[in-house]
Order: sequence, then structure tokens, then C-alpha cells
Amino acid sequence: MNQVAHWQRVHPASPFVHGWIAIVGLLWIYWQNTDELSFAERFAGQRLFWTVVLAGAALLLVLFFYFLSWYFTRYKLTDTHVYVNAGMLFRSQKQARIDKVQAIDIAQPLVARLLGLAELRFDVADSSESVLRLSFLKKADAHDLRQLILQRAQGEQPVENPAQQPAEPATLNPLGEQPAGSAPLMAKVPAGRLLASLFLQLPVVIGALGCATMVILWLTGINGIIAGVLPILLTFGSYFYKQLNQGWNFTASATDSGLRISYGLADTRQHSIPAGRVQAISVTAPLLWRLLGWYKVEVNVLGTKSEDLDNLQVLPVGDFESLSRIMGILLPDLGVPNQREVLATAVKTGTDYGFTASPDRAKLLSPGAWKHQGFLVTQSTVISRYGWLARTANFVPHHRIQGTEFRQGPWEQRRELAGVRLHCAGGSIIGYLHQVDAQIAAEFTLAQAKRQVGR
Amino acid sequence: MTTTNPWSPNSFTPADPAYFKVKLITFSITWGLIFLASLVPGILFVASVDTPLWLVIIPPVLVVVIALLILRILRRQVLALGYLEREEDFVVRSGVMWRKQLVIPYGRMQYVEVNSGPLERRYGLCQLTLNTAGAGATAHVYGLPQAQGQELRERLVAAGEEKML
Repeated sequence: MNQVAHWQRVHPASPFVHGWIAIVGLLWIYWQNTDELSFAERFAGQRLFWTVVLAGAALLLVLFFYFLSWYFTRYKLTDTHVYVNAGMLFRSQKQARIDKVQAIDIAQPLVARLLGLAELRFDVADSSESVLRLSFLKKADAHDLRQLILQRAQGEQPVENPAQQPAEPATLNPLGEQPAGSAPLMAKVPAGRLLASLFLQLPVVIGALGCATMVILWLTGINGIIAGVLPILLTFGSYFYKQLNQGWNFTASATDSGLRISYGLADTRQHSIPAGRVQAISVTAPLLWRLLGWYKVEVNVLGTKSEDLDNLQVLPVGDFESLSRIMGILLPDLGVPNQREVLATAVKTGTDYGFTASPDRAKLLSPGAWKHQGFLVTQSTVISRYGWLARTANFVPHHRIQGTEFRQGPWEQRRELAGVRLHCAGGSIIGYLHQVDAQIAAEFTLAQAKRQVGR
Repeated sequence: MTTTNPWSPNSFTPADPAYFKVKLITFSITWGLIFLASLVPGILFVASVDTPLWLVIIPPVLVVVIALLILRILRRQVLALGYLEREEDFVVRSGVMWRKQLVIPYGRMQYVEVNSGPLERRYGLCQLTLNTAGAGATAHVYGLPQAQGQELRERLVAAGEEKML
């Protein structure tokens, strides 16, 4: 392997991507202070001279800081590590061991995309709290560097006692990547379907109706209302934008080791999700989606966190076909012979294929949902279904469960019901057996304790 | 009688009886402060600031009622605490109204902490926290005598190392 062990600088335009706001801010201040002047007055005589001098000085100052920022940001790639140094006054020196790198994401914020730049984000296995970022490089360079590091990571894969770690195939081959382009497409979300799916969610419907009401009230002359409306509109707008951004141009394709997703409206994001690092899968169908047979899939993954939402979406909206393809990759072994039928029962409703439902004693506690709550234990996985308006099915493999919690509230005690939570790592999805018979829940907890250690 | 708990409460190691005193003191301090805060409208009323009468009466009464209700089950709450070391996993139980039994296999354990606050130290107690990779699967053992806590930690760490690979 060739040693590229000298320090390199990032692209000179990088500070601008973070710092363009400073230039805009300066312009804005100028504009505010010369508001009363006309253009002719602005650029005439003495004033023109001082304007040019001050603008030049400000520009130089900004450029000087940009230059310093750029000058002190350096990175180095060795056979074993990636180093990133940044900062003049407050220096930060970060490094990541290449063989611990689990995934490399390429992100493009809006301004970076306009300039053709990209940021590399390293997911490191031993430090879950901070992600190493390298920003910014030319897009082609970023892809090359990513490929190079992935190759090194693979080339240096030590054969570390594979027999002892059957539960963690991810550590054996964390980066089984193949070149982009050749990956078969698993799911794609057309813009129309995404928009339709967003407007068919109850929170969005209520929010949109609320906004419309407010606007109508405002138009009919109640001016005071705008003060109250604006924050609500902004909150709702940002929520809506996040949803839109997470699903826009969404594609999921299969790689050797798992799934690669890419999405983004202003930014383009790519995530690699090795199937071995998926801890839990949640399939949700909101009320109105059920009429159309649409589902949303989210996962708990170690390391990679979606920044905007709690869990990583691997399918913002899709039909049962897309769902079963994605499940086939992320959870190839459902532990039952007739996987497709069981999956369909799991995400819809019913007690076929051995699902255990809540008894009718649960009717009073959750009148809408009790009929649809249920769970199934297979060879490899616990499937649990709950929820009234939005129905959720959670899939948790036995060997991913961190802890099993038997719970019984006062109302459940009286009705001899109980719940079990199966806690997982990497996100907020848990296995959730809701209001099942207390005896069954107790037996399940006992049996689950055995299954967890039995592998 | 059929039990609806996975494990019978009798097989658990209970919390030290002295832990009840710790709970009682914590309870007195917290609810004493809340009670004082609920008296503020009354003080204003006495100081002849215009305050509605319901604001003077309802909060203190409410606070006293809730505090007494909690006090009633405080001892049972302490009695309900317990842990159980098994062959392959560790079980903690807690709760009177909301019962919980949390099972964590030794192999999932990431690290074990033993903490003791000033109040617990006075009674020679400590608490042990067992962490896993999942945020929800964190086991707390309250009211351990300090020596027993250290021993338990040693045992848990040893079991964790043994079962990890």
C-alpha cells in the first residue's frame, strides 16, 4: 500500500460554506444603515470612497479569517488512521482508526452542492458520541477518498476469531461495499407519492387545517392572530420540511453487506446500513396510509444516527412489495418458513401464524387497539404489534435484545394483564408487547431470558 | 395461587431496611420544599396582597394529600426493591403500583457503577447501576450495604467478562 502520510488541506472554498452567512450579515448591516439613501447618493463623491474602503477592509478581514480557518484545517491519511486537525486558537486534533471505521457518509449541504463540494463523515465503532467530519473536498475527490479508505479498511480486516462472534457479523465485514451504480435498486420514492403520504398523516392534516383556519381568520381582519400564528407556522413548517427532506428523491439499493440509502431536498445524504448493525426494525402504518397499503420503515442502527429524526428511516413510504424487499435485506431470516405471509400478518392485523393477541380484558384500557395488539416469537425474532391510529410492528432479533422488562401498571394488575418491553441499542425502537395476558407475559419473560443467552 | 410475576418476589435479595430511612429523609426534604412553595399564596394573602381564596387553600391541601398517599406506599416501595443473580442474567425488580422486573444477560453488560450520596453514606449504603448499550436497559440496585455493593460489582464484572465472548 502506498503511504499518503503527508498533511493535505481541504478545498479552499470550504470556509465559505460555513461562513457565507458572515458576508450576508455584513451586507445586511450595510443595507440597514443606508436605508434612507438612494443609489445615486450611495455611490457618489466622498461616500463612494469610504464605502469602497470600508467594504474592502471588511472583505479583507473576512477573507483573512477564512484563510486562517482553511490554513489550519488539515487532514492526513495513513495506513491505519485518518487524522483531521482544525482550529487556530482552539486546536482540535481528531483521528479515527481505519479498521474501526464502520461507514463513511457523504453529505452535501446546499451551498456545498452549489460549489460542487462534499463532506465526509466517518462513523467510528469505538466512539459513538462524536462523528469525525472532513469538510470540504471536491465531490469527485471525496468519492475517491471514500473508496480508498474503504479499500484500506477491507484490506486490513484481520481475521479475528470469527467463530466466537457469530452474533456480530458486522465486525467481521463492516464495509462490504461495492462501487456505486452496480447496486440493485430496492426501493424508490416518487415525489408524488411522498407528497401524498405526507398529507395523509393525521398530524399534517390537522396542522394544515389549522394553518388554513388561521390564514382565513387573518384575511377576514383579525390581525392580532398573526402574532400567535407565526411560531406555530414555523414549527409546523420545519417539521414538514424535515419529513420532506428525509424522503425527497429517496432511493434504497442493496449492497454486499446491507442497504445504502440516499435522500435529500437541499442536501444530498448517503448512508450505508450494514444489515449486521441493524438492532431493531419498526414498520409503521398511519391511519390513512392503511387504506392505500403504505408503510414506513425505520431502524435502530449502531453509530449512524439520523440528525433530524429519532430513528433512521430506511423507507419513508412504500407498498408491501418494497417493504418485503427491504426487510429481506435487513432481516433476511425471520425465523419462520413462510416469511412473506408472516410479515404481512405482522404489519397488518390478525392472529394467523401463531400471533398472540391481547385478551378481551384489555378492551377497556385501549378500546381502539386491543384487537390489533399482538406478538409472535419466531426462531430468530420477536415481532410485536401495537397502536391504534398509527399501527406499528416492531421486529427485534433475539440476539440484539439488551434487556427484557416485565411491566405491570395498577389497571393492568386488576385485569391480569401485563406488558413486556425489549430494550435495544442505537435508537428508540423497542419491542413492545402491550397488554397481553399476565401469565403469558411472565412466561414470555422467562423464556426470553433463556433465548437471549442461548443465541 | 398462580403468580403473574416472572420470578417470585421471595427469591430476590431485598434492599437493606436502612434504605427506608434514606427514602424517608429524601421524601421529607422534597415534599417539605414543595409544601413551602404551595404556601406562597397564603403568605401573600396574610400580607394583604390581593389573592383569590382558592389559590390559598387548594395547593397546600393537594400537596398534603399527595404526600400522604406517597408516604403510605413508601415502605412497600422499599420492600418491593430487590435483585436476583442468576446463572446467565441479572434481574432487578421494583415498584408497587407500577411493577417492573428487568432482566439483563451478563453478556450485554457494558459497565457497572457504584455510587453513594451523602445521605446513603451516612447509613453505610450505596447504589449500583448496570449499563448496557441500550438506554432503556439500565438496571438500578438501590439500598445496598457498601461492602455488599462492592462484592456484587466484582461478581458482575467477572460474570460479564466470562460471558462476553
